[in-house]
Amino acid sequence: MEINKNIQQSLLNISSLPTLPTVIESITRLLQNPKTSAEEIGKAITTDQALTAKVLKLVNSAFYGFPGRISTITHAIVILGFSTVKNIVLTASIFEAFKSSDNAVCGFDLEQFWTHSIACGAASHALARIMGNKEKEECFIGGLIHDIGKLILYKYYPEEFSSVLTYANTEDILFYEGEKKFLDITHEEIGSYIAQRWKLPSKLQSSVKNHHNPLPVYDNYINTGIVHCADIFVRALDYGNGGDKKIPLLSENVWTDLELENRSLVSIFDTIQDEVEKATEFIYLI
Amino acid sequence: MKKIPVEKIESGMILGRNVCGPSGSTLLIKGVCLTTALGRRLKNWGITSIYIEGEEDTPLEVYTSSISANKLKEHLTQKFSRVIHNVVMKKIFSAVYQHRLQKSK
Repeated sequence: MEINKNIQQSLLNISSLPTLPTVIESITRLLQNPKTSAEEIGKAITTDQALTAKVLKLVNSAFYGFPGRISTITHAIVILGFSTVKNIVLTASIFEAFKSSDNAVCGFDLEQFWTHSIACGAASHALARIMGNKEKEECFIGGLIHDIGKLILYKYYPEEFSSVLTYANTEDILFYEGEKKFLDITHEEIGSYIAQRWKLPSKLQSSVKNHHNPLPVYDNYINTGIVHCADIFVRALDYGNGGDKKIPLLSENVWTDLELENRSLVSIFDTIQDEVEKATEFIYLI
Repeated sequence: MKKIPVEKIESGMILGRNVCGPSGSTLLIKGVCLTTALGRRLKNWGITSIYIEGEEDTPLEVYTSSISANKLKEHLTQKFSRVIHNVVMKKIFSAVYQHRLQKSK
């Protein structure tokens, strides 16, 4: 089988890589000014109709606690706050950027992929909440996009993707291990490259890049550790499928540093399940 | 009303009871016209069976069916096969097993 070993180089030359709506940049700029009002942010978001519709669907989902009760973006900002709405806009933008991934690779179900990603986001959010981590919205996005590199492979390198997928499932190994055998790049590296192109915060880039092997020396280690655990936990709970059927090894340093030894894992799984259920409707946004 | 596994959902069937996730939140409201795609989606979210309208009632004992403990253990053992030697993974395995068994009751 002919495998492209030069993805690293050719990726740089793809001009049609998914982009985030331009409104994201204007919101980020507006949020840097402490005097910006909810109306101004609302106005900036509503310049993008498709995005606005998705944001309103998200803010009205059970996940954010006000189902069906928020009618405008300004209202959402007043109730949920700038930071949460910014992250919701980012989530909606990510769904918007990948809405037409219409390749067909045998043995890969895109909906299962997104189910796994959304569940990983919700589980990261739940873990952050349990641990009293204030950045639970960032953890949600970290979980949501942790495997985004796989989607780039799927969309732009379908033959290579298919080979890795087939190999991983035939040999009963992780997709990640298949990538290491066949490609010159992993989905972690591709994902962090996309996150960088999208100008996402460097902390998020680091979460995407290191979610299989978070080490204390990396930027955003704790949040990356949360995404790492969430990925393993939602695999064990069988939410969707990110391309293989196996469970990766949970990093011992993450286990220790998140103090998981002292917590009831069963009750963590109960909380994760609750949170994932509230996020199920996100799948309709893709 | 009849209980069927999600794999048997056919387009056009009408949902007979609300579908709730294991912790109680409503995922689909009764009366919805089902599709095979919706069936796949429910499966992705861990739903194993639903009630449909317009057919004979299923005997009561079928309503109370739950995942067999052995089947779950077998499935998880396969999934964890390469990491089960690890102490932490052993703990995760037994917690997931316990959690899923409780939720299926």
